Order: sequence, then C-alpha cells, then structure tokens
Amino acid sequence: MAAPSAAGLGRRLRAWLPRIMPVRWSRYNPSYLEPEVKKESYQKPLEELTEEEREQMELKAVQPIKAAPPTLSSSVFSDPMISKFTNMMMKSGNKVLARSLMSQTLEAIKRKQLEKYHKAPENEKETIECNPYVIFHQALKNCQPIIGLSNITKGGKTYQVPVPLTDNRKRFLAMKWLITECRENKHRRTMMPEKLSQELLLAFNNEGPVIKRKHVLHKMAEANRAYAHFRWW
Amino acid sequence: TLRLMCTTTAVQRKNVGAAGPEKYTEAFIKKQIEEFNLGKRHLANMMGEDPETFTQEDIDRAIAYLFPSGLFDKQARPMMKHPTEVFPEQRKIQWGEDGRPFHFLFYTGKQSYYSLMHETYEKFLNVQKHQDQLVAEDLPLRKEKRNLAGSRWLTKIELEEMLLEKLSDDDYSRFIQLLQKLVALPCADIEENYIQKFSKEVPVQLQKVVIEPLQYDERGVAFSTGEGKRKTATATAVVYDNGTGKITVNGTDILHYFPVLQDREQLLFPFQFLGRIGKHDMVCTVSGGGRSAQAGAIRLASAKALRSFVTEKEVEFMRQAGLLTVDPRVKERKKPGQEGPRRKFTWKKR
Repeated sequence: MAAPSAAGLGRRLRAWLPRIMPVRWSRYNPSYLEPEVKKESYQKPLEELTEEEREQMELKAVQPIKAAPPTLSSSVFSDPMISKFTNMMMKSGNKVLARSLMSQTLEAIKRKQLEKYHKAPENEKETIECNPYVIFHQALKNCQPIIGLSNITKGGKTYQVPVPLTDNRKRFLAMKWLITECRENKHRRTMMPEKLSQELLLAFNNEGPVIKRKHVLHKMAEANRAYAHFRWW
Repeated sequence: TLRLMCTTTAVQRKNVGAAGPEKYTEAFIKKQIEEFNLGKRHLANMMGEDPETFTQEDIDRAIAYLFPSGLFDKQARPMMKHPTEVFPEQRKIQWGEDGRPFHFLFYTGKQSYYSLMHETYEKFLNVQKHQDQLVAEDLPLRKEKRNLAGSRWLTKIELEEMLLEKLSDDDYSRFIQLLQKLVALPCADIEENYIQKFSKEVPVQLQKVVIEPLQYDERGVAFSTGEGKRKTATATAVVYDNGTGKITVNGTDILHYFPVLQDREQLLFPFQFLGRIGKHDMVCTVSGGGRSAQAGAIRLASAKALRSFVTEKEVEFMRQAGLLTVDPRVKERKKPGQEGPRRKFTWKKR
C-alpha cells in the first residue's frame, strides 16, 4: 500500500493521515464538508427554511469546509454536469482542448436549432427548444438506463443478473455511451463537435444509436429476469 | 521462522528480562513532585528571580538558556516539567492482598470500558422506564431537541485518557452509538448530567479567524491585501475600492496573462459571488506553480482581501462556498517499485 508524504509545502499543509492508510484517500480530514457554490441558496431569508435546512446550516457553521475545485464557480455559465462531461472527454489532461470542443458543440447545437427555428412555420416555433444547456440535460436524461446488468458467478457459471443502478452510475453510463459512440462510429473527416451535436439532438428526440443501446440493455435485463433472485444486495 | 515445540511462550519472548511498562508507585510520584518543587526554587535562585512567582514558562526559558541544544525535535531537548505531565497516569493495583480483584469485571481485561457500557445502558433503560410511565399517565413526552451542532463527542484518545485503558476503534464506535441512541430518546433530558461528561463544546468556525480592518492609501481610496497559496504557487492581491473592475497580474492584464477562460472565471469567482464585479480594482503578484495553480492562488488571495470590505454574514457565506479554505491537494510522490504515484510497472508473466 502506498504511503503519502507532504512534499514541498512542508508541515503547514500536512494532510490529516489516519493510522492505517487506505488506497482511496483524500488530503482533507473526513470532517470537512462539501462547499455550496450557488448564490441563491444563501439569499433565502431565515423564515423560509425548513427544520432540516436549519439544522444543516448550524452544522455547517461549526464544521470546516473544503476548498471549491477550479472547475466549480458561482457564475451562470458553470454547470457541474457539463464539467463532468468535459472531464470525461478529456485525453491526457488536455482540459483546454476538451473545453473548447464542448463549447463548439454547444455552439453547433444552437446554430442547428436556430436554423430549424427560422425555417419552421409560425405554430411550430414555440415547440423548438433553442437553449443548448436544456437540450444537453434532457438528452443525458433520455440516455440514462434504469436497470443494469452485473456478472454474478454461481456454481462455476457466470450469469448476467439485472441490478438497480445508482444515480451516479446512470449518469456515468449515459455520458460514457455518448462519448464512445461519437469517437468510434463516425466518418474519418467529421469533427467531434459536429458528431456530438448530432448525437445530442437525436438523443433529445429519443432517437439515435445511444438510445438504441439503452433499449438493448433494458431488453437483456428483461430477458434475464429469471436470475434476478441471485442478487444479494 | 521455526518455533521450538516443547518450550513455553514465556521463554520464547526475545527479551526475557522485560516485564511490561514500568509501574510507578504513589510514593515514587510524591517524591518526584517534591524534588520538582525544590528544583524549581533552586532554578529561580540561580536565575536571580523570585522563587514564589516562578511559572512554567519561566522554567522553560531558564532550561533553554542553561542547556542549549541544537536538536531539531523539540521533544528530544532537555525539559523540566511537572511529574504528572511526564509520568503517564497509571492505575493502582487492582487486586487485594489475597489476590482477589476489587472490580467484578476485572477478568474481562477492559474493566472500566465494560463498566462504562453497563452504566450507560442502565441510564438508557431508566429513560425508557420513565418514558413508559409518562405514556401510561397520558402525559406529553418532552420534545425539546438537543442542539447537536454546537457539541461533539469525546474523541477516542480523550476517552482512553478518561478510562486509563486502551480501546479499539470498534469499542469506541459502539460506545458512541450507544450514546447517540440514548440522546435520541425524547426523555433523555433526565440524564443530561451524565451525557455532558462525554460531550464537548465546539466553537463556531468563524471566530477562529481575525478579519483585518481596511487601510487607506494617499488618494484616500480604501484597499486591503490578501495572500493565497495553491500547490507551490503563491500570490498576493491588493483590492482597491471605487474601481472599474480592472485586474492586473504581474504588470499585465488578465486577458493577456490567462488566455484560458476557466482561469479568468476563477479570478472573478469571489467578486461574482459577492455581486461586486465592477466595483473593485485588483493588482496582484504571483509566482510559482502552473497556470491553474496560479489562478487558484489569486482566487484565495482576493477572497481573503475581500473579507475586510464585507459584512460578517457574507464572510461566513464565502467560507461555506469554499472560497476561504487553502486547498491542501499537492502532487503525490512517486513510490519505489512503481512507475508513478499510482501506476505500477507493466506486469510481465515471465
């Protein structure tokens, strides 16, 4: 097991170290809480808060809080989901490139939607969604599977058992499928933003290869329903 | 390692003469205290000060003067402290002359811990009985919620000191769970005295940091300075009032110094959070680190500088948004036998 050491900055910034080192660890003491960046949550007057929120506020006043990461900011343009997607698209730590690809994708979506908007007749203009952030979130939501499969070995044979997924896992799978789809199934000359915007618009309308993959997974889970009792958690 | 079969474990111990930690008798400790007090008076005489008003700090200074030491570890240098601080508290002998132990739980090995658990559970049953009585008489159960935010339970080390016994993590967590169960009952106010022995007050975080007052320069404009660090980058920021929102880093404008949008967003984060984007001017100097580390360092420095311009409530909001904590994450070191901090060498079967 690897033991960490506070190199460079010396004793002042020494991490809190437990006696037994786990493999997944963080430089923060476990009593540190996550920061809350959104401005609106701090502007609510005291009376509107529920009991739980009041308790949480008191707890927060006493406990130390972690520093906000560089990807998070209180401006309207920073979105945690978009930053997560950008990080997954990033290769070899090239955040600049990933971020520019993401902004080009959002621009491409906006352009396509605006073209459609201007060409559509009057009565359909309201149904066309032009906000690229809304399209992104809705597309991701449409791609998220409800149930997943997990390999369980019983009696020498490995079965694919249907298993409920956590929120984080669903989001991760949706993003992963989108990115792999865009990297592999495209013509050699198409750029990533173009392909991604195409995929996102298709997913927004519940069409396209990613949605198909999600349905295939659901069908497999339905087919393996008989093994559902193998799950013990 | 081979083990001899026909010998006892006592002989197999490497250092045959060693018998547990030293036990200090009461007479020994008393003698040490007398010697310490005498020595304190002699020391005061030597230093030419009054023996009656010679405090521990004076003793420390005198010893550091008379016995200068170049050792780095403070614990290794010569020191003169009261015997209760030097010799750890130990329990007196737990059995009488006939060899029969005093406490009924002596043979469990952790007598004070188990007796504590028994006591706490007794209180728990007491509270439940009281609750049942109230329910039988149809009286309302008291529901004033105990303020959990301002207090914390004793840590494992503090509990060990209190019981004079070693505890395991499991024992400690069981005890805390029992205390929490006790506190969760509605009629736990009866045993408030007992519970207070195991809880400590936690001061509100904000009071630990001192906010500096504003300074004024020659033109009468208010300004304040702040320093920030992030991963080998250090920055100092000077935030001026009545400004236009211009930010200068190391003599150049931020648009030229930070071509990436993410860094500029980080610089503007504290101002945007407080809603003061066009109102302040900033001049900063930064050195060390990389692009993102410098941005983080300036962000921390500007947040610290803005504390003097803003009300206490907003400072608390800034702290809860994570703007005022130093980011402790640094590059993890490379380990021997591996290629990087986590990556292992390529595994070859043969």
